[in-house]
Amino acid sequence: MTDLILIVPELVLVGAALALILIARHVERAPSAATWVVVAAVAAMGFGWAFSSEGSQIGFRGTIAGDGYAQFFKTLFAATLALAALLSVRHLDAERVPPAEYYALLLLASAGMMLAASAADLLILYLGLELMTLCSYVLVGITRDRAISNEAAVKYFLLGSFASALLLAGISLAYGVTGATGFAAIASAVSDRSLGQHPVLLVGVALVAVGLAFKIAAVPFHAWAPDAYQGAIAPVAAFLAAGSKAAGLAALGRVCLVAFAPEQRVWSDILVGLSALSMAIGSLIAVSQTNMKRLLAYSSIAHAGYALLGLISGTPEGAAATMTYAFIYAFMTLGAFGIVIGLGQRGENLVGYHGLARTAPWTAALMFLFLLSLTGIPPTAGFAAKFGVILSAVRAGYVVLAVLAVVCSVVSAFFYLRVAVLMYMTEPEGAAPGRLPAAVTTALAVAAVVTILGGIFPDTFAAWTVPP
Amino acid sequence: MSEYIGIVVTFVLAGMLVGAFIVLASTLGPKKPSPVKSEPFECGEVPFALPRGHLSIKFYLTAILFILFDVELVFLYPWAVVYRRLGGVGLTEMVIFLGVLMVGFFYAWDNGALEWH
Repeated sequence: MTDLILIVPELVLVGAALALILIARHVERAPSAATWVVVAAVAAMGFGWAFSSEGSQIGFRGTIAGDGYAQFFKTLFAATLALAALLSVRHLDAERVPPAEYYALLLLASAGMMLAASAADLLILYLGLELMTLCSYVLVGITRDRAISNEAAVKYFLLGSFASALLLAGISLAYGVTGATGFAAIASAVSDRSLGQHPVLLVGVALVAVGLAFKIAAVPFHAWAPDAYQGAIAPVAAFLAAGSKAAGLAALGRVCLVAFAPEQRVWSDILVGLSALSMAIGSLIAVSQTNMKRLLAYSSIAHAGYALLGLISGTPEGAAATMTYAFIYAFMTLGAFGIVIGLGQRGENLVGYHGLARTAPWTAALMFLFLLSLTGIPPTAGFAAKFGVILSAVRAGYVVLAVLAVVCSVVSAFFYLRVAVLMYMTEPEGAAPGRLPAAVTTALAVAAVVTILGGIFPDTFAAWTVPP
Repeated sequence: MSEYIGIVVTFVLAGMLVGAFIVLASTLGPKKPSPVKSEPFECGEVPFALPRGHLSIKFYLTAILFILFDVELVFLYPWAVVYRRLGGVGLTEMVIFLGVLMVGFFYAWDNGALEWH
């Protein structure tokens, strides 16, 4: 029974989802369901923190860990869930999406992310990621009568299942060589029996890394992201960008640093390639985008590259930098998507931002804040996070990669700040946008506070970023 | 590696057998080609045709509900075999598992998946 304490947040979310499914037919409007989800997310977070000191750090026969690393990511996923729930309210009523089903899927996807972050066994990791992605496929295509959503969901499903198959193949190869699926057991089997150079194990490590690279949308495994983000309704895109990327990073961090720690040379070479390609290609392609969701999708690809910079070194400090990056990126991307959502249909295209500072000064100012943070300009949290990962790459001796990261940041400044230029230096077109819905304003306020706080006090999250 | 010898021998034998059949059939067999014979699969179905008519979505719903109970059975059988050894804990876990599945079934029922208009 004491093992159950480790997965209290997951249990809360799954319980809330089942309750929503039971009363699905009677839930007609989104705000009540959204309130329920926010309560569940806050409860999951609260229970998680309340029970964190009790019980052991690892349970269920060594398959699920309840350490600070899991704790940190569970808090992140609960926050992402709450913000995404708030951001969805307006879209659901406008698009006639059934609210109970939508929110139940959101809850279950978050439970999957949490499970993936606390997994200490490759199979539990797979289970958690699969729960997350299966719900995400449906969420992307939840606006059934829009052809673009259907297309996005099918593309995401096909590429995602392919990635899952690669991950499973990697897991089975690693199991075949080491005879274990538990992270600690794999690591000790590799070092005890000096299997470090076993070719099959090397292929297994590479396949696991590739499978997880799909989840974080790192180049060259990024092809699904722009289409899925554009086809999905904006809140789902925000949830995917913030949540599923963090889940993939959490899984990658624990797998690389614990299970395949003796294989660091192999996976850090792979991560260097993924990181360099993601930063360069994500930033370059984003320059030519005119659809805001696609632009943010390519930006999320580039940010996957920055986040990987921390993991490459394989040190606890590097992992902590990546954790901070995932946390801050989640809030700033939720904020940017929140503005897109708040502006409604006009927010989807760059044209909609013409002269926004004149017609809606507060909305424009908030967007400017999130754009500065995404670019990595002080004094926003994005700068602190980016500084942390680049510093960790330099310390590990990857100076060329660090220089590339800085160059890509400069390129990314072009397309982020172009939106700011459109908002502040062009004439307004068409009518002024309406007031932002209260739920969206609340979510934006939370995201803005984290973005400012993390920039002014860069050490705010340092105490919680416990490497695996 | 020696334990894999048997598998390798099996593969080689299987390959030789299949190869022999193909070679014998193509050298010894009489050849009287006709358009029908040249079609892929030759199973009475037209292999390439545009979809005609409607297929009711209800068949898919029923199939999916069937999978629900199928998964349940896959789990219930092994549980029944070791029921005595698992005892009360096993029973509780199985009841929770069935409860979760029944929530899904109830959802489908409540939304009219079982009504055949």
